[in-house]
Amino acid sequence: MTTPHTSGDAVMESPLAGAFDGATPGAHMLGPIQTLDTPMRRYGPHDEVDYVIVGVGSAGGVLIQRLARAGFRVVGFDAGPFWDTERDWVSDEAGSYNLYWNDLRITGGSEPLAFGANNSGKGVGGGSVHWAGFTPRFHPSDFSVYSDTGLGADWPISYQDVKPYYELLELEIPVAGPSYYPWGDPHGYAYGPHPMGGVGDVLINGCTKLGIGVSIGGPVAITSGSHGDRPHCIYRGFCIQGCKVGAKQSTLISHVPDAIRHGAEIRANCMVARVNLGADGRVTGVTYFDPDGNLREQHAKVVIVSGYSIETPRLLFNSACPGFEQGLANSSGVLGKYLMAQAGTVVLGRFAAPIRMYKAPPAHALTEEFYETDPARDFVRGFAIQTVGPLPIAFAKQMMVAKGAWGWGMRKVMMDYNHWAALGFLGEILPWEDNRVELAAETDRHGLPVAKITFGLHDNDKKLIKWGVDKTMEVMYAAGAEEVVREPRYAHLIGGARMGNDPRTSVVDGFGRAHDIPNLFLCDGSIFPTQGSANPGLTIQAIAARTADYLIAQGAGVVNRPPRAVPAANPPLRRDLSPHSTAGRGMPRLKSKTPKAKLGLGGLAAGNRG
Amino acid sequence: MAVLSPRRLATEVSQKPLVRDTLAGRRKRSGWLWLLEHTLARDVRVVDQHIREGRFQRGLALIAGLSAVLGGLEVTLQHYRGSYSQRVMYSPVFLSPLVLLAGVWGFFSRRVARTLLPISSLLLLGDGALGFIFHVRGIARKPGGWRIPIFNVIMGPPIFAPLLLGISGFLGVIAAMLRREDDPPRVKAAGLPGQRPAWLGLLPRGITREGVILEHHVREGRFQKVLAAATGVSAILNGVEALYPHYKNDFTYKVQWTPILLAPIVAFAGFGAVASKRIARTLLPLTSALAVLNGAIGAFYHLRGVVRRPGGLKHSFYNTVYGPPLFAPLLFAATGFLGLLASLLRRAD
Amino acid sequence: MSLTNKTQDMPLPPDPNAPRPTIESGPPATTPAGRLPINTRTGQPIQPRPQPGYYPGFSTLSQQKFWDEATRRVVLARVNNPPPIRFFTPDEARLMRAVIERVLPQDDRDEAHRVPILNYIDDRLYHNRIDGYRYEDMPPDREAHRLGLQAIERIAQTMYGQPFIALPPDQQERVLKTIHDVEPPAAHDIWRQMSIQRYWMLLVQDVVDAYYAHPYAWDEIGFGGPAYPRGYMRLEGGKPEPWEVAEQRYEWSGPLWAVSNEYGPIGAGHETITPGQEGTH
Ligand SMILES: Cc1cc2nc3c(=O)[nH]c(=O)nc-3n(C[C@H](O)[C@H](O)[C@H](O)COP(=O)(O)OP(=O)(O)OC[C@H]3O[C@@H](n4cnc5c(N)ncnc54)[C@H](O)[C@@H]3O)c2cc1C
Ligand code: SF4
Repeated sequence: MTTPHTSGDAVMESPLAGAFDGATPGAHMLGPIQTLDTPMRRYGPHDEVDYVIVGVGSAGGVLIQRLARAGFRVVGFDAGPFWDTERDWVSDEAGSYNLYWNDLRITGGSEPLAFGANNSGKGVGGGSVHWAGFTPRFHPSDFSVYSDTGLGADWPISYQDVKPYYELLELEIPVAGPSYYPWGDPHGYAYGPHPMGGVGDVLINGCTKLGIGVSIGGPVAITSGSHGDRPHCIYRGFCIQGCKVGAKQSTLISHVPDAIRHGAEIRANCMVARVNLGADGRVTGVTYFDPDGNLREQHAKVVIVSGYSIETPRLLFNSACPGFEQGLANSSGVLGKYLMAQAGTVVLGRFAAPIRMYKAPPAHALTEEFYETDPARDFVRGFAIQTVGPLPIAFAKQMMVAKGAWGWGMRKVMMDYNHWAALGFLGEILPWEDNRVELAAETDRHGLPVAKITFGLHDNDKKLIKWGVDKTMEVMYAAGAEEVVREPRYAHLIGGARMGNDPRTSVVDGFGRAHDIPNLFLCDGSIFPTQGSANPGLTIQAIAARTADYLIAQGAGVVNRPPRAVPAANPPLRRDLSPHSTAGRGMPRLKSKTPKAKLGLGGLAAGNRG
Repeated sequence: MAVLSPRRLATEVSQKPLVRDTLAGRRKRSGWLWLLEHTLARDVRVVDQHIREGRFQRGLALIAGLSAVLGGLEVTLQHYRGSYSQRVMYSPVFLSPLVLLAGVWGFFSRRVARTLLPISSLLLLGDGALGFIFHVRGIARKPGGWRIPIFNVIMGPPIFAPLLLGISGFLGVIAAMLRREDDPPRVKAAGLPGQRPAWLGLLPRGITREGVILEHHVREGRFQKVLAAATGVSAILNGVEALYPHYKNDFTYKVQWTPILLAPIVAFAGFGAVASKRIARTLLPLTSALAVLNGAIGAFYHLRGVVRRPGGLKHSFYNTVYGPPLFAPLLFAATGFLGLLASLLRRAD
Repeated sequence: MSLTNKTQDMPLPPDPNAPRPTIESGPPATTPAGRLPINTRTGQPIQPRPQPGYYPGFSTLSQQKFWDEATRRVVLARVNNPPPIRFFTPDEARLMRAVIERVLPQDDRDEAHRVPILNYIDDRLYHNRIDGYRYEDMPPDREAHRLGLQAIERIAQTMYGQPFIALPPDQQERVLKTIHDVEPPAAHDIWRQMSIQRYWMLLVQDVVDAYYAHPYAWDEIGFGGPAYPRGYMRLEGGKPEPWEVAEQRYEWSGPLWAVSNEYGPIGAGHETITPGQEGTH
């Protein structure tokens, strides 16, 4: 190898005792300190378990941990691997290819969505492995968009129903952020804010100049302080490539170890092919491909699908059977429809002084000043502006779109990489029926039809994006940028199997139970009716914890009682089911002044176990 | 307890034989004090006298309390950056105000100065040592641990900061051993029953023996060496604590070098003063005064740095937490103050 | 020692208002010197070097002992063992190489320090590693690349009556520019099978994917490279780490004949903006 140069400085030529070694043989590493120490429980092919969870991602990881802790027999399936973070993850952009769902999907419509690295993960931890970690809560107004604006949809539940789970998950994750967060339902965070990187300073400078409030140092799912055997963030900026440090939360490191300690089984590299329906109209379990590609079956009392907005509808479509020819649990015909993304336009500004935006986590400051509907604007709902920190390859692709760069122009603008800062616009896109997931004619390597996604913008979306991106560019200019360009982009899939009170217009109820099938639950981003302009990850995890509490409170009643006989009130909040590293952590903090949700009205004993 | 007005105290004290002796024997005094004598009021001489005789418990109790609270404020902010992720991180936050309380209360009450002050100070001292261990461990638990010491010391928990806080505790302990300003000057301290802090009796005799001698010296004001050494140690700790954050900031401002250059000199003077009376009377006060000045300048620059951060005063809380540490330079100034104090003391020999 | 590594010493960015010699024409594109970028102050071609860019002496590879083993293995394999050409036929490979040389020219790098972009693209197609989706108006990636090469060849024949690889670089650029502008003068039957701008983006993306994954490119643009277990400490103000190098700018441009020196939206004038492909937040 030819390395003709030595670097500018060498206080130390190498770490003491030489270069770093990799994974420890025999130990499953989930970070530099955390190891998976307990052997995993294995259920036999003929065991009927209580719960099967399809997809151990953001939602699935929280669900499986709760259910295992409550003493249920649970098996989680994930199509991707069970990562060993020291062995499998690299601090390299191109080398992180395997983190994403790279199996084929067909994308179309007037504004086709990009998938893969842009949208979804594969492997235990799911999307939380590669998310940037922004964890704002939804605003109370997000749950009543239709009532407030006449567009979009309402949720069957309110902010107050989710709020206790926000507070709980913010501790479990843990979320670092300011001690006072002013937007939506104002609150404070249990972990302190992070230091700023160059892009954060740009956002703060720009916003302060324009008199826009800005939240500094969070809320992000990144440790600012150690958390059990997870160290403090080292500001290396590779969050989207999977955090080897274990500072950024993924359910892989925050919830899955606790699940396994409490007897859950996770079958990695197992793609679920279909959910099976019994003669009595209840699901009986799932059929899946084991890691060697053999078709197998797993029986379960309850099936929960947590495969995210594309794979959840796809699996239900692929599970079509007599009685459900249009897809399992799809008597409404709504399955696959009302798919949403958020407008994630990246606004890039060039500064005279260097920025070096690859340092610090991409997620470290944001403003939600424009989140709510403003009657003065000609569109409803709003947007957020966040920091992002594209690494060289992502930046080159942004320059390709934003400036049309190629050839010598590409080489030249890339040499200025360190002078650019990037802000992420995050605009709400409303649910529209024609934005949808269907099955394509093509099949994947298992012979399963792949998903075809159609996506386009409507009038309100277009106006919102125009106004919001202009505002983001204004912030960039106010921060002192000499040149500002933008790359249109879409982020954060949501919807496709939405929840609602009316079985004719929604797929599941407020707890994720399929209207059509009493022992089939959906729990992931796909059940959201709308998603505001907050990143969805925290809400996905909070809803999962709520669904788990509901299932635990109902116990065997979930399976035995007819759906209408099951109470729809909030279950008791089970703080005792948090992962073991949660207790005794987090600073005293501001809890909002809005009245507490009415808890525990179900009249069920908190300790009710299945 | 009657509190004497300083003026009355001064006149009373200056009538005492020892004071007259000393005022006459100028050669015993350090050069710069001689200068002071001509320029400053008599009060100063009285205070000086008290210090030389070890009769400044009230003053030192206050100083210990104040320096503890400076360190306490710093640690409160710094541990907020670490999110108080371990419960033990709250301990200095609660202990340092306790030492402040004990110091202030001890200023007024002899009882407190002999009970609460030493107890809380010892706790703070112990907490400093414990904190040091935790910080060393914290660095070890960062990715790469001690194998990449430069990076992890800079980005990890500040390694010597707990020991700096411990020095406030040390001062409190010393203060508890001193005589009070309003004590009669020539009493044989160690011989007086009831004046020894009761808790010392709990220790085994063998240990207390050395302690009694030291305590005797302390009570007589003959512990210059101890305080000078403490100044030296504190200067080194301060120097290191200034070095790596300034290095982290790439020494953007030249002035960031000054505490780092000055600290070893103060340390040299401090340790030198242990060996040489001469240094104790010349270099130590001089460099210590410079340290006080440097600390003050540093505090100003740090304040300016906070205000100049993005968002400035609009985000004053965040910028105080993540800007240059406001109280760190004041701790350096406190070290200088300690050195000044040491130079005023008598020596055990 | 790095303690002297001052940020203030960093050269200021060139003053855009400063008078500067106007250079109208460089050496012709057909000469070897004509392929080189030029120093816009002197008008002289910049000779090939091991490491172009504003960070002379900066080497991410020199820091490899501070990387974790998994990352080190992946990056070193990339540098030391470029994959063989297995997907493209020899003819296709020749043409593709010529195309890549214009989409991301490396004429300013010496032979030993060029990034073998073609090999990485070939490897991706050989293993059929896709990005997880395909546009409904596009054929699969393998086919798209094959069709694209045919189209480029036909455009070259239509515009200059010669094969693409025989053209001088300026004409090659103009051939590619017609695709960038979504106005190719030939191969309309191919463009009926695939979207012009999506093909252009596929091509450019594959090329930058390969180039900017390479440590030589990181050194060129001053990117710090892998950072675990050692992270970054100088987060604000664009300051270099002790082991990074402060920027030393110089003024340059691609050869004066290069139409890619100018920036302009893909498919200028067409209302078809394709969204970005990379996850950010
Ligand atoms: C680059 C990027 C940045 C992001 N940043 C943020 C952010 O900052 N904040 C935020 O809130 N969100 C962010 N997101 C979005 C966030 O990652 C997702 O919204 C979230 O992870 C979705 O959670 P989920 O549980 O619904 O699905 P996932 O977490 O995607 O989990 C689904 C899991 O199911 C598995 N699966 C699917 N189908 C099957 C099957 N048939 N059989 C077996 N297993 C199956 C998959 O392998 C996967 O592991 C980001 C996304 C990307 C791509
Ligand atoms: S910046 Fe922090 S959270 Fe992100 S990858 Fe690095 S250590 Fe992990």
